[in-house]
Amino acid sequence: MQKMLLRYSVLLMLLWTSCTKLDEHPESVLITDNFYQNGDQANAAVTAAYRKLYESGQSLYNSLFQIGVEMATDDYEAGPRARNAHVRAISGLTHDASNDRMEQLWKQSYDAINVSNIAIDRIALIKKENITDALRTRLTNEAKFLRALHYFNLVRWFGAVPLVLHEPASLSPEALYVEKAPEADVYAQIISDLTAAENLPAPAEYGANDIGRATGGAAKSLLAKVYLTRKDWTKAAAKSKEVIDSHWYGLFENFADVFNVAKKNGIEHIFSAQFQGNSGYQGNSLASRSAPNEVPGINGDYADALHKQGGLYESFGEGDTRKAVTFITQMLSPTDGKLYTFEPHLNKYYDPAVVGNQGESSKNLPIIRYAEVLLIYAEALNELNGPATEAYQAIDAVRQRAGVARLQDIAPGLSVDNFRDSVFQERRKEFVYEYQRWFDLVRRGPDYYVKVLKAAGKTLAAPRHIHFPTPQRELNLNPKLKQDPLWVNY
Amino acid sequence: MLRTNILAWIALSMLYLLPLLATAQVPTTPLINSHLTGRVVDARTHEPLPGAIVNIKGTTHGVSTDAEGRFVFVTGQKFPYTLIISYIGYRRIEVTATGGHIEIPLEATQSQLNDVVVVGYGTRKKSDLTGAIASVSGPLLKQPVSSFDQALKGAVPGVQVTQTSGQPGGGVSIRIRGGSSIQGGNEPLYVIDGFPIYNSTASPGILTGAPINPLAGINPADIESIDILKDASATAIYGSRGANGVVIVTTRKGKADRNTVSYEGSYGVQSLRKKTDLLDATDFAKLRNEALYDANPAKGPSQYLTPEQISQLGKGTDWQDAVFRTAPVQNHQLSVSGGNTKTRYLLSGNYFDQQGIIRHTDFTRLGIRANVDAQPLDRLKVSASLSVNKSDADVAPSGFITSLLQMPPTATIYDPNGGYTLRNPFENIFANPVATINEQENKSTTNRLLGTAFAEYSLLDGLAVKVLFGADVNNTSEKNYIPSTIYEGVQTKGSAARGTYNAYSWLNENTVTYTRSVARHSFDVLAGFTQQEFKSDIVRAGAQNFVTDDLSYNSLQSGATLVRPFADATNWVLHSYLARVNYNYNSRYYFTASIRTDGSSRFGKGNKWGYFPSAAASWRISNETFFKGATHVVNDLKLRASFGTTGNLEIGEYQSLATLYSLNYLFGKNMATGFAPSRLANDHLGWEKTYQYNAGVDAAFLNSRLLFTVDAYYKKTTNLLLNVEIPWTSGQTSSLQNFGSVSNKGIELSLSSRNFTGAFTWNTDFNISFNRNEVLKIGNGAQSYISGNYIIQVGKPLGSFYGTVTDGILQTGEESAKGKYTGNAVPKAGDRLYKDINGDGVFTTANDRTIIGNAQPDFILGLGNNFSWKGFSLSVFLQGSYGNKILNSNQQSLELFTGQQNAAASARDRWTPSHPSETMPRAKLDPAPVFSDRFIENGSFLRVKSVSLGYSLPKSAIGKISAVNVFVSGQNLLTWTSYTGFDPEVTSGNNVSPGTDLGIYPVSRSVSAGVRVTL
Repeated sequence: MQKMLLRYSVLLMLLWTSCTKLDEHPESVLITDNFYQNGDQANAAVTAAYRKLYESGQSLYNSLFQIGVEMATDDYEAGPRARNAHVRAISGLTHDASNDRMEQLWKQSYDAINVSNIAIDRIALIKKENITDALRTRLTNEAKFLRALHYFNLVRWFGAVPLVLHEPASLSPEALYVEKAPEADVYAQIISDLTAAENLPAPAEYGANDIGRATGGAAKSLLAKVYLTRKDWTKAAAKSKEVIDSHWYGLFENFADVFNVAKKNGIEHIFSAQFQGNSGYQGNSLASRSAPNEVPGINGDYADALHKQGGLYESFGEGDTRKAVTFITQMLSPTDGKLYTFEPHLNKYYDPAVVGNQGESSKNLPIIRYAEVLLIYAEALNELNGPATEAYQAIDAVRQRAGVARLQDIAPGLSVDNFRDSVFQERRKEFVYEYQRWFDLVRRGPDYYVKVLKAAGKTLAAPRHIHFPTPQRELNLNPKLKQDPLWVNY
Repeated sequence: MLRTNILAWIALSMLYLLPLLATAQVPTTPLINSHLTGRVVDARTHEPLPGAIVNIKGTTHGVSTDAEGRFVFVTGQKFPYTLIISYIGYRRIEVTATGGHIEIPLEATQSQLNDVVVVGYGTRKKSDLTGAIASVSGPLLKQPVSSFDQALKGAVPGVQVTQTSGQPGGGVSIRIRGGSSIQGGNEPLYVIDGFPIYNSTASPGILTGAPINPLAGINPADIESIDILKDASATAIYGSRGANGVVIVTTRKGKADRNTVSYEGSYGVQSLRKKTDLLDATDFAKLRNEALYDANPAKGPSQYLTPEQISQLGKGTDWQDAVFRTAPVQNHQLSVSGGNTKTRYLLSGNYFDQQGIIRHTDFTRLGIRANVDAQPLDRLKVSASLSVNKSDADVAPSGFITSLLQMPPTATIYDPNGGYTLRNPFENIFANPVATINEQENKSTTNRLLGTAFAEYSLLDGLAVKVLFGADVNNTSEKNYIPSTIYEGVQTKGSAARGTYNAYSWLNENTVTYTRSVARHSFDVLAGFTQQEFKSDIVRAGAQNFVTDDLSYNSLQSGATLVRPFADATNWVLHSYLARVNYNYNSRYYFTASIRTDGSSRFGKGNKWGYFPSAAASWRISNETFFKGATHVVNDLKLRASFGTTGNLEIGEYQSLATLYSLNYLFGKNMATGFAPSRLANDHLGWEKTYQYNAGVDAAFLNSRLLFTVDAYYKKTTNLLLNVEIPWTSGQTSSLQNFGSVSNKGIELSLSSRNFTGAFTWNTDFNISFNRNEVLKIGNGAQSYISGNYIIQVGKPLGSFYGTVTDGILQTGEESAKGKYTGNAVPKAGDRLYKDINGDGVFTTANDRTIIGNAQPDFILGLGNNFSWKGFSLSVFLQGSYGNKILNSNQQSLELFTGQQNAAASARDRWTPSHPSETMPRAKLDPAPVFSDRFIENGSFLRVKSVSLGYSLPKSAIGKISAVNVFVSGQNLLTWTSYTGFDPEVTSGNNVSPGTDLGIYPVSRSVSAGVRVTL
């Protein structure tokens, strides 16, 4: 009897051992190895890559561009509510390699690139029977478009950067430590990705549920901008002309419609970061960052301010319809009904549908829009052949829409240099608060950047500022990485 | 629970004894020479002791006391004769009987060598221990605390207990022999009546502010004893969960033939130890004027208020007075216990209600317990212990203390229309703290059922099989509502959120024990297999934009804006095999060896199983023949040494897998869901391994009146579970890897002395412990990494503060010479100067930092004195910590002198042209906060942790009632410290950044009175 009991209990113990397994089978989370099996999952992988344009909080196209980049221009500064020392450092050009906002530019861009890389690599492995060729190609090209966009930003911010095109295979040093690729190599990859993405559908080919995805037009437009940045004027002119001649795009009659929620993804919008308030961290936070805080019931942050000495506000002519869309100086308080007057505040993303809660603004952020294609065309033509009629026509289309006199009428026969300045001045006024200014300044070289910033009272501007330093953290963690030569001693 | 086995065994032997005694008396008519009646009572409480054995010395004649503690001797012995009275848990005494009625007080044995301590999967006599184990019982467990872990403060050496929040029901952080993990869990494993629990504060994530301590769901009054396993010999039997030490909690059991009903109730009041010294309205207005003038001199010196307006201000609003209060705490405990030798039971009910010293915060617990032990067959023992508790808490929302301190005194609680002033009226926006605490609803409710049951069958003499099952069910629901009438709710127009967390864990343990003594050899063997599985899920939902605040969080569907719901589920499995052998030769040489192998689901697929062996030996020198001559001075002397390996697996679930997380993006009007990877997979992820060496000496002097224990240990933890930073170019920030190493070494000393025995007793217990912690290795050859205000650096202890060093104030005329040491682009007289640590000729916050202090103490100590005289008892317990630094983060904000928020009283000494202070900087509207040694304060303290005065009413006064005890007690009555914050007992919890006081709910001081009645 006792022996039996003993045996039984031993048996019982052994039985139990085999009951539950130690392998983890999470119920609430998915595992990389079990995912990416069909068209829907491929789609989800690419959706994630889109979301990496911005996430909650201070993220790339939501406000990080403003905080981490645009503050370092003649047009903006850290506003009264931008309390953070790192933000103020960028605004005052005292930032160094451990500036955390600038670190975020690097970090978030590579995060986004990684998500695109995974999509590109894993979608290629999906079995033929689980995905159509058309969908596979399209999704892969969308991911390539996004990857190119992020590398284009990175190479302009940091110069030479590591060119990572695949998810790290392991945690080994060989897989994790990547050295910088020369700028030319990075640009070659950008151009290769965008060239593939040119095969994406035309805007009209997407159904209502796919609006906002990258299109062939977006790829061509971005490619034109890449060529322009590379001073490859011929290709920049040709590619922008291709976009113009496609007749997929045009200008809104009213400049205000560019920032009209009802006209989202309209004729002029080539590619935008999509925002939608009250849907879970998808509001455009620039709206609250720029809104005034002293008006009761508006609850603005006023963290993004105009840099007054830069003279941007004053540069707008009286008839310029962009001025009233871009800035605001008076507001009615929804609480006490009084009219408040204040210094000019940026206003492009203020959403009247969410008064007092601008963090939930539904306004999209234009990444590239048709007005820019026209200005790229004008600039490229000017550099190629001087300000020909076609160049004047392109810039004047933008000016006329804004309600200002045609350049052809007030300044015909400009020199190449003067026409170039006119294009840049037009870009400055057209794209206020659209993350273009810093790129436009550094595009013209260190001397130009330093001259403009010093004139605007940012006296600490120096040639190194045409790049951001490679984050110190990355230098510490990756022995193959070297600091940008411009920043070695800072 | 296993302690009851011993009791059962004793009860059983008594059962055999009694008939023998009876038969001895029956045959012949005895000669009656004397008639003696008496009563045996507890010397301190005067409670009767039923079942005590009374023998007449030199005879076999003995009786046991009845339920009232009474006994009767009718014998042939003539007076006077000597009685020997013995009772388990009490000192055996001899009393001379001369006739009549005799009242015999027995003294409870405290920390006696014959005490039984609970070890993992068994019990041992204290004298037989080979490992380092400390026990807590007696007065310390009677402190009026919301959770038992709070009662461990200062109780035993090597255990550091720090409050993470003074919120009623709030948590404590426990480090046994220092923290050994950087990013894994550092809290010990709790084993409650055999059920292992890691005290994680998992919650639905709705509650803001301090989390509620899950252990607060267990009634401290139900606890009989707490044993703390410290060295590897003791903890290795818990394998991959033993590295942080093990706290074994044993709840009370019924005692045979001692049916009692007892009630204990207490009521107390608590208050804040000290307010933080801030500016009043007049001084604040002057500060603001100065800051504004400094920023914009063109507008003149009275940009905020004119001197006339300022003279009208007076003191303004004292925001601290508006929320701190004297708050009641009450505790009621009713228990019924008893039984016979076959079956014993204890039933108890408990109600605890602690209002917080901040308005609208409280914690209540309602609980019942049933513990039953039975022996249905001679060879079968069964036992069950079950508790069900419901606790409710109202918690101060996060950020509350910070805004309380920073709210300007010129602001008023209400606006002229009678509504709340919404927020700080100045540039630094935060909500009115009074509105927050009054109007925000922030509640947590937990129902917890914890129970174990076992059956033990004795197959042969000495061979027993035991099967134990246990379950821990924890359902927590949290609710939060932010009404539209307060600042936090203005934008959302009312925000409601609810969440539930359901956790369920079951346990099965199957063990075999074999005990045998052959001649001078005795040994026992334990072997077993155990398995535990845990499942939890979380659901959260919320809504915003309500038409009315009346519905609070009770009607989410009424909100116009829905918040994206959330659900999550996790589980883990742990399978273990364990074995242990104890051997002793002639009570002189003791050896223990144990091993446990754990298989955990949490680790990488290539690394599921780990092995945790230990070995220990001790030598009881006092039992050697050569020592006999010394035993009149040193009556017990033992040397101990142990070595072993333990692990830590507190990393959460699924950390080795490349899991995906979901994100959303909008295409057209269509919300699409995407998935992206959260991390890179790590198939090799395993546990942290801790190797620990321990050597100790136990000595007893002067007939055990002086007990002395000293232990020295060295603990090295390797394979640290570290979120190793990896280059961002990988797409990830970090990867959890087994990297790095930390060591702890230290000395622990405890001294227990019975200074006076007899009618007046005085016992002293003292303990002191020194721990030194050092980071040995981190990450990929890195020497250090900075984490906020801390640095983790090889060769330095964890908790090292990393900041700048102040160097006085820039004075007028020094701008060009010393201005570069202010860190300001445009230096001005009155700016704070900092040391140029790296010597590059300029100060920058990023590059001129150094280690400016450490949060770990040089030593901690506890000192208890217990006195008793007649019915009176007094216990005074002191607790202290020396050498630890606290980062007073509250003060850092309060010394910004921006005029945008209130400032510390030190602002009165700020630099002005007419008052060129050398210590405090000028008013400045827009300063960059710089973390410096200015805010590192000495956190040393010594405090009267608890004082308790009790009186047991004499028998004559209480009639048929067995015992009535009245008591008054105080907690934290006196504190000696130079720390300027609310209270020095404060920590921010985790091991990377301990010792920061930022908006932590302060610990209170309390006085209470109560009564204990036993029927």
